[in-house]
Amino acid sequence: MDELELLKKDWKKQDTAMPRLSYNEIYKMILKKSSSMVKWIFIISLLEFSLWVLLDIFLRVNGYTEQEQVDELLSGGFIVGLSLVYYAVIVFFVVRFYLNYKKIQTTDSAKVLMENIFRTRKTVKYYVWFNIGFFALTFMSFTIYLAAFTDHYQKQADLGQASTTIIIVSSIILGLIFIGFIALFYRVIYGIITRRLKRNYNELEKLEV
Amino acid sequence: MDKELEHSFVTNLEQNQNIVHKVCRIYTSDSESHNDLFQEITIQLWKAYPKFRGDAKFSTWMYRVALNTAITLYRKSKRSIKTTDLDAMNFRIKAEDYDDEVEQQLKLMYAAVKQLNDIEKALVFLYLEDKSYKEIADTLGISEVNARVKMNRVKTKLKKILNP
Repeated sequence: MDELELLKKDWKKQDTAMPRLSYNEIYKMILKKSSSMVKWIFIISLLEFSLWVLLDIFLRVNGYTEQEQVDELLSGGFIVGLSLVYYAVIVFFVVRFYLNYKKIQTTDSAKVLMENIFRTRKTVKYYVWFNIGFFALTFMSFTIYLAAFTDHYQKQADLGQASTTIIIVSSIILGLIFIGFIALFYRVIYGIITRRLKRNYNELEKLEV
Repeated sequence: MDKELEHSFVTNLEQNQNIVHKVCRIYTSDSESHNDLFQEITIQLWKAYPKFRGDAKFSTWMYRVALNTAITLYRKSKRSIKTTDLDAMNFRIKAEDYDDEVEQQLKLMYAAVKQLNDIEKALVFLYLEDKSYKEIADTLGISEVNARVKMNRVKTKLKKILNP
């Protein structure tokens, strides 16, 4: 293609027309902080990790009535065991996240680099889904437990005018809305930070088919 | 930290800074984002530098880190997303060697390159830098055959942009 050849010739002449930074200007640059995607992914991931842990601690400290009732009814050992498993899983996710993050190298090819970034993000994604799932399961089993084995909903029904069924159904719906909201929120955040990366990756991927 | 390392890095980059400027020219449209990207590439190069063993040429190694930063890591600021055709027109600085027709054609070419996506720009950039298809393929992480195929598609795309 002759136009591109023409461009190539011109391109080579540009060397003399480029801006030139001095030694000191470049030196100042290496002291500055990066604002790259990877850094943002790292920060956002850490926030996500801490959000769930903080939420868990907050609920434990403040305690909600259902929790207390269930705590009373179930043997203490079960709750402690569950917490241990829960925190072991979180530690596993954090360690994996860190190892994947360490693997991100700008000296890899563009494709490998992108794959490593996605892998890092995926760990966080699984972590969030694990939490949503854990939350949903806990919520469902509490509701079922309270409905089947305690008079919790009956008491509430006696206080208000609504029937037990309506209270149970509405609390399930509220729970689902809450879970849906978290899932949506997560997808939006994830989508925004990786949109361009995804587009470029697909472009490379498309070539390999 | 390590003064010697700092010194050798800055000296190396100072000598080879044209490569980074060229990447910035391909990927940004105004001087502010040019400087932003230059800054980010410099940081990424510096972060990767302790692992640079010298088994490759400093410049070869730079291409990879610089392009990776432009394609993968760099977060474009809102201002730079809109493409400014005027900037593309001012892309070239030295013009006296050309007659008007060639000059005009070049302006259009630069403007056309600006319309390509990030990966296509990387291909064109490496092509303009006289890199072999093997090197282009290695830098992007695709096969050599696909690099050729894609380059041909980019050429066709450029032709279409120029002659709609």
